[in-house]
Amino acid sequence: MQEFDVVVVGGGASGLRAAIAAKRAGASVALLSKSHPLRSNSAIAQGGINAPLGKDDSAENFANDIMAAGDGLCERAVVQSLVQDATKEVLWLERMGVPFNRDKDGRIDRRPFGSNSHNRSCYADDRTGHMVLTVLHEQFQRLGIPSFEEWFVTSLAVDGEACVGVTALGLKSGKLDAFAARAVILATGGFTRMYAPSTVSVGTTGDGQALAFQSGARLMDMEMVQFHPTVFPKGQGLLITEAALASGAQIVNQQGAPVQIDKSSPRGKLSLAISDAIQSGDGLFLDLKPIGKEKILSSFPQTNELVKSVAGLDSTKDLIPIRPVAHRPMGGIETNASGATAIAGLFAVGECAANGLNGAGRLAGNTLTEAVVFGKKVGEAAAAYAKSSAKKNFPTAKVADEEKRLGALTSGNSAEDSLAKVHAELGRLMNEKVGLVRDAGGLQEALSGIKSLQERHQKIKVRNAGRIYNYELTTHFEVGSMLTLAEVVACSAQARSESRGAHNRKDCPTTDNVNWKSHTITKLAQGSAQIDKKPVAN
Amino acid sequence: MQVTFKVYRKDPEKDGKPGRSNYTVDVPDGVTVLESLFKIRDEMDSSLAFRCSCLRGHCGDCMVRVNGSSRLTCTAKVSAYTQKGPEISLDPLRNVPVIKDLVFDWDAFMWNKISTVKPWLEADDATANGESIAADAQMKDLRKVMSCYQCGMCDEGCTVLPVDFKFLGPAALTKAYRFIFDPRNQHAKEQLKTVEGPKGIWDCVHCYEADEHCPRGIEPTKRIVALRDEAYRVGISNEKVARHHKSFAASVKESGWVDEGRLAIESEGLTNVSGLMKLLPTAAKAMVRGKAPLPYMHAKRPGAEQIKKIIEKGEAENK
Repeated sequence: MQEFDVVVVGGGASGLRAAIAAKRAGASVALLSKSHPLRSNSAIAQGGINAPLGKDDSAENFANDIMAAGDGLCERAVVQSLVQDATKEVLWLERMGVPFNRDKDGRIDRRPFGSNSHNRSCYADDRTGHMVLTVLHEQFQRLGIPSFEEWFVTSLAVDGEACVGVTALGLKSGKLDAFAARAVILATGGFTRMYAPSTVSVGTTGDGQALAFQSGARLMDMEMVQFHPTVFPKGQGLLITEAALASGAQIVNQQGAPVQIDKSSPRGKLSLAISDAIQSGDGLFLDLKPIGKEKILSSFPQTNELVKSVAGLDSTKDLIPIRPVAHRPMGGIETNASGATAIAGLFAVGECAANGLNGAGRLAGNTLTEAVVFGKKVGEAAAAYAKSSAKKNFPTAKVADEEKRLGALTSGNSAEDSLAKVHAELGRLMNEKVGLVRDAGGLQEALSGIKSLQERHQKIKVRNAGRIYNYELTTHFEVGSMLTLAEVVACSAQARSESRGAHNRKDCPTTDNVNWKSHTITKLAQGSAQIDKKPVAN
Repeated sequence: MQVTFKVYRKDPEKDGKPGRSNYTVDVPDGVTVLESLFKIRDEMDSSLAFRCSCLRGHCGDCMVRVNGSSRLTCTAKVSAYTQKGPEISLDPLRNVPVIKDLVFDWDAFMWNKISTVKPWLEADDATANGESIAADAQMKDLRKVMSCYQCGMCDEGCTVLPVDFKFLGPAALTKAYRFIFDPRNQHAKEQLKTVEGPKGIWDCVHCYEADEHCPRGIEPTKRIVALRDEAYRVGISNEKVARHHKSFAASVKESGWVDEGRLAIESEGLTNVSGLMKLLPTAAKAMVRGKAPLPYMHAKRPGAEQIKKIIEKGEAENK
């Protein structure tokens, strides 16, 4: 067994920032990640990181834009907390080495992005996430924080009311081990791999949310799943940054004629408009040519490269087919502004958490800002908690229990069924019935479909009895997590009988501020998801 | 389309011996190698191990050899590799310790080497005075280098690593460039010393394979050459290859042509007794064959003065 003050689960931007902050606050820290941190989903963020730099912008303007995108469900205190610290965090990243694009005075340049009312998105070409992640990982290494890479967390150890660590499987060693901690920070990312297609990496499967939920934490606003408006939808789906739209790209029909759509709407509305236009026509395309070849190659080099390698198209010449595709959730583990969950000693941050910042819709360019601003706050809060809390014992039988559970999974035969089939059916179901537009009937069908997939998943055994790099085993856990959360997403969507932000109910098309200016809260009661409401604080 | 994938196999929990499994699968047009691997794992052999993460060319995790050439499986289309017949071989990268099947040891291959260069910026992190002011051209160069997604293709193509696995390799040296040429960095000199030491920049044979292999056009060889120039510029150049270069330039400057005897001695280092002893058999052979007549003289070439002027002009321009 290993022992630390703070264990961070997840090596993306939030997790790395939290680990750095906790270490600098004096805690002993370890980071566990199921893939190498530099392979995490943060690397796919492209367009920018928001901060109200410059004389024309202000924290107040920024807050107003966040609240508008959040469509009534943002927690004002949390929004204030972000806008006050965003500039400091972006400047810190700059000083630590992010090679932001510069304006003519050598200051950080900012570009228009999504529904930001000001040029606020600081960027490093169209690889902002990659650069931010790289620099965070560099600073993480600088502090010598132990990094357990390719360790898959299988359970949270909750002793009574408090979280006292995790158990994890080392993919390389094939061994299960216990990581005792005074505080655990979940930074495991989103869950939209439950949709097919989606914009996310293979591991974006909601592991942390599912573990927290099953251990008694509450999930918030899980029905709020953002669809990205401009995604090449074939194969695995390839996101084209909205920053391209703000830089002059056009949404056009097959003949290349521009379609009347307000490009600066919040993502939810833009996705809906694009989806409506696709349904009434022959499909829509993104035309990058108006940006100009030179600027495409200089400001969007990765887009150009990936459009070629993934879609087989030339972004300086061809029209790129697009449609809205599941992107990032706003919902997640309910936390306060310091990342504390309903379980003592358990914190959550970034895309796996819901602290009320994003409400019903996330402002474009805020994912990375949220990751670093709250990564720092939550890392510090967890370190302070670890310092003040009494040491609790890690339950001795926990590792043996997990061994038994893994053993049971890898014994027996599941005949014709497979994890891939269950996952594929889930993806289709979520996309069709719990997608951009939902209705009561479809959600009911989705719920019964998810239930039957859960039953099938329960019966599936892992055929590969090995332990070293047994991806069938980890996939079994991941599909299980997605099925747990899919039920919560569908239940929450069914409960919210209105349309707001990313949640569009065909059968309840209006926003109902009398009954629904509230978060949905889901907890596990007697083995099933139970939905409550929590009014927005302001 | 029916395609047979001939996949390298190794199971550390069984006999640990390398082998190969053949899987014939029906795949649709436009399918990628990665999607085919998933199909094999899901439908035919759940024990098959391979890495992947982003699924669409962002992250570099899924690098393997497809028909002998290193490729990201997530962007490699099956149809591009079946033109000579419906067979595709899949292997781990060359010269890398393999753990299981296509999963190799990234730590030994690359991460540990990158760690050697202390891969971080040391800078003043006080943000009260705003950002550091920098020209975009300077940042643009860093953005190009930092677009590296650590796919390892440069190290895979390197012609030194198969001979000397301890060589830091183009990936780690390119990472070092990112720090050494960052104006915000305060420990660049220390990092330069590290890469200038044994197994660093002087061991590169500039075969340009790394540049040929890099899918992002980062040109690692060019970066290594820039690091060598920087080492000269700041006066850190104590390694054997650096001594070799210095001696070469000095003798050409003085006599118009290279003095091989002096080159050998100065390259080894005048205080390196054991190194100098090793030269003796070569010197003896050279004498026997009449290549170094005694007494050893290295005469100036006609036109040596003009050559000297050319070199001095170049030196003045560099300053």
